[in-house]
Amino acid sequence: MQLELRGITKRFGSFTANDQISLKVEPGQIHSLLGENGAGKSTLMNVLFGLLRPDEGEILIDGVVAPIADSGEAVRRGIGMVHQHFMLVPVFSVTENVVLGFEPTKSFDRVDYRRATEDIERLSQQFHLDVDPDAIVENLPVGLQQRVEILKALSHDAELLILDEPTAVLTPQEIDSLMAIMRSLAAAGKSILFITHKLKEVKAVADVITVIRQGHVVGTAEPSASESELASMMVGRNVQLTVEKSPFNPGAEVLEVRDLVVLGDRGLVAVDGVSIDVRAGEVMALAGVQGNGQTEFVEALVGMRPVLSGTITLHGRDITNLTPRQALDAGLGHIPEDRQRDGLVLSMSVADNLVLNTPRRAPFARHGTRDLAAVNDNAVRLVHDFDIRTTSIQGPASSLSGGNQQKVIVARELSRPLEFLIASQPTRGLDVGSIEYVHRQIIEHRNHGNGSLIVSSELDEVLALGDRIAVMYEGKISGVVDPSVSRESIGLLMTGHTSETASV
Amino acid sequence: MSLLSTRTTSKETPLVKNRRTRVIAVLMALIGIFTVFVFGWGSESRAHSSLTFTPLNLTNAPWHLGSLTVVTRWTDVVLGLVMIAAAAEVFVRQPRRAVMARFGGVAILFLLALLFWAARSPGPSPVSSVNITTILVGSSAAAMVLIFGSLSGVMCERAGVVNIAIEGQFIGGAFLGSMIVSTTHDFFFAAIAGAVAGALIGLVLAFLSLRYRSDQIIVGVVLVTMLSSLSSYLNLQVLTPFPNFNTGNLAPNLAIPLLSKIPIIGPVFFNQSGFFYLMIVLVAAVSFALFKTRYGLHVRAVGEHPRAAATVGINVIRVRYINVVLGGAIAGLGGVAFMATQGQFQVGYTSGWGYIALAALIFGRWRPSGAVVASIIFGLSVYLSYELVTYQVPVSIYILQMIPYLITIAVVAGLIGRVRAPAADGQPYLRD
Repeated sequence: MQLELRGITKRFGSFTANDQISLKVEPGQIHSLLGENGAGKSTLMNVLFGLLRPDEGEILIDGVVAPIADSGEAVRRGIGMVHQHFMLVPVFSVTENVVLGFEPTKSFDRVDYRRATEDIERLSQQFHLDVDPDAIVENLPVGLQQRVEILKALSHDAELLILDEPTAVLTPQEIDSLMAIMRSLAAAGKSILFITHKLKEVKAVADVITVIRQGHVVGTAEPSASESELASMMVGRNVQLTVEKSPFNPGAEVLEVRDLVVLGDRGLVAVDGVSIDVRAGEVMALAGVQGNGQTEFVEALVGMRPVLSGTITLHGRDITNLTPRQALDAGLGHIPEDRQRDGLVLSMSVADNLVLNTPRRAPFARHGTRDLAAVNDNAVRLVHDFDIRTTSIQGPASSLSGGNQQKVIVARELSRPLEFLIASQPTRGLDVGSIEYVHRQIIEHRNHGNGSLIVSSELDEVLALGDRIAVMYEGKISGVVDPSVSRESIGLLMTGHTSETASV
Repeated sequence: MSLLSTRTTSKETPLVKNRRTRVIAVLMALIGIFTVFVFGWGSESRAHSSLTFTPLNLTNAPWHLGSLTVVTRWTDVVLGLVMIAAAAEVFVRQPRRAVMARFGGVAILFLLALLFWAARSPGPSPVSSVNITTILVGSSAAAMVLIFGSLSGVMCERAGVVNIAIEGQFIGGAFLGSMIVSTTHDFFFAAIAGAVAGALIGLVLAFLSLRYRSDQIIVGVVLVTMLSSLSSYLNLQVLTPFPNFNTGNLAPNLAIPLLSKIPIIGPVFFNQSGFFYLMIVLVAAVSFALFKTRYGLHVRAVGEHPRAAATVGINVIRVRYINVVLGGAIAGLGGVAFMATQGQFQVGYTSGWGYIALAALIFGRWRPSGAVVASIIFGLSVYLSYELVTYQVPVSIYILQMIPYLITIAVVAGLIGRVRAPAADGQPYLRD
């Protein structure tokens, strides 16, 4: 199907999220929509999928104006969406998920599961998706769950598939097979709109690239364009994609973790005997697909989750099972994974958030009362030093953009003397400019001879920051490698192959 | 958040699963050991318990089974050993399924052992006897009411709305049912009135929690409190001055020809009031609807992941309204059924059965079949807690009344198998 957007404009109050956006997707084409977070990609897709009404402009399908009032209509017109956060019921089988809302029925409103299963098997074979219709979705790896989403769209006879940031949760191998699937879908005549901010993937798979920034189409590009060209189009200025690091000069061991065992939320073992050493002046990057125990590991390190067995020592001092307060006092800095839940008190002011870890210490408090002048002075200084964009230091943290919220946390953690920095997904959801900034701060901290542990599921980030890379899989360290190894071998470690098999 | 961060722990590691099964096994063994030493060894060596089977109120029974007198000590020791054997089986074999069913079996054996012990006579000639059929018939009435309640819970919670108001719907159904049957002398009208009362309470719950997204638990508790106060007030103002509105008719038994004549089973299953048969039909209907039909698939999707349901065009709010109102009607029927087996409406006479039904819902893992099994166990223990007053036992009935809740705590604490509520249970749904 040919899809054309003409002059789509969508405003939220005084803010224009999409401004006169036009683009055309041809049948059998993989059309990439490249843009930073907040550039207006998601708004555009929601307009296209009928979740939002455009204020201006029109949508044409095969040359005919086709207004789309709701997502049901989008589906009827042959548009399928693979959501970034899968819209799958975890406890349902693949079949149940695929037929949901479009069930073939027998008498008495019974669902005809046999017919449904046959349809799914046929589609699955046709597009080499290789999905077992009877499997329970929550037992499937993320890559397969995504295929279930694709199956769902295909089973509704989608001719155009929208893939919204589909690679964010995948391992490198899963990304490769997703791209193969995308190509085979395109070869079968399906159109694909591929939304992403990852340059490598765009170059690998797209036929045409449309770049948007701040709600405008800033241009189109060929996949042959270089990464830095694409990046500067996307950001609007030249960006440095690599972080400058001073030569690696490790000192003595700072953090030593031995045989750590930690339980997850449901009482199951999430961290299963992890041992790791980090030296002074070293960034240890902890890679791995999300949900392999990294979250629990970090929470145990900073005292937010009890350690079942094993030890953590910092400069030779046992810091196992400290309270978060004691962990902070021991000199651990922590940039948490979920900044809005664990990093900030959103309803409190920027100034208060900037002293959240030392509120009752001099100079911010004396004799049990707060010294608000000192708190404000501190805020003014940090807002300036760390370039936090805020209208007022008294405004609530919730009024800041994601990138600036993250800067508040980075500023707070790095502005006091630290023994060790632990940063979890430090750039998640940030635009390229903010990523650049946060990376520089982390490396500067390292260049001063401090140790740090950076947890990230972004391979690019891991490779850019890490002096050594530990890969975590199902609660265990599957290997510790040098950043010079190939992406493929790290990818193998991320899927549980041990370092002997992966180092080939 | 959401999908991504919760995935970590969804895989069962064998280590922890084994540990949990072992905890259950140990629990079962402790109950067995308690039975052997307290009920078995604790009874005098010459004490006997006598069992009879002919129902007292079924004088025209074509059968008469004699009584069976057993030595209390050895009977309870054997029962305790059976429990210990079951515990050993679970401990060693680590069965993957039906661990909870085994636990339920042990609970039932325990109640029986307790009964023998309580009803023992000091010598070989029994002074009193335990009538098994009467106990089963009596428990079946309690179980029936609990099944109505827990079925109501299944309807609501599968769609993602917590219905704490079951107790209130029992009260409303019982009150209105009693008035209607006293005036019309027809339980058919009483049933309809009770169902409507329950449905209306469900509608209020649905309206406040779906339209205004109030906290479902709080709304539910408020509704129960309101209904219990309202019923006290109306009782004082209407039923007390006009006793004709509260004559306390009991629903007549409808004996099914032939089947009702089967010893023991007959009186329990085939000589019951219409409410009992209605309950069986409802259990089958809800099971079928929930797990076989298109509508049931929508309901379960709405209870697990409402946004996913909404993206494929399912109207989440409508499904929730329908289920909460239907669930309310079922609980309202439960209230009438309660009244039809217990008699005259009195203030506070549902005495927390609505909450026991909620416990049965959880013990039954949000499934109609599970709710039935749990309601039977809880019904037995509720009935026995009243019945044991007639025997002179040094155990307060209040202790026995704690059993359903103790089991529920054990279940919720994850001691007995893994129970998982529908993922969106109690979560308000926000369209965006």
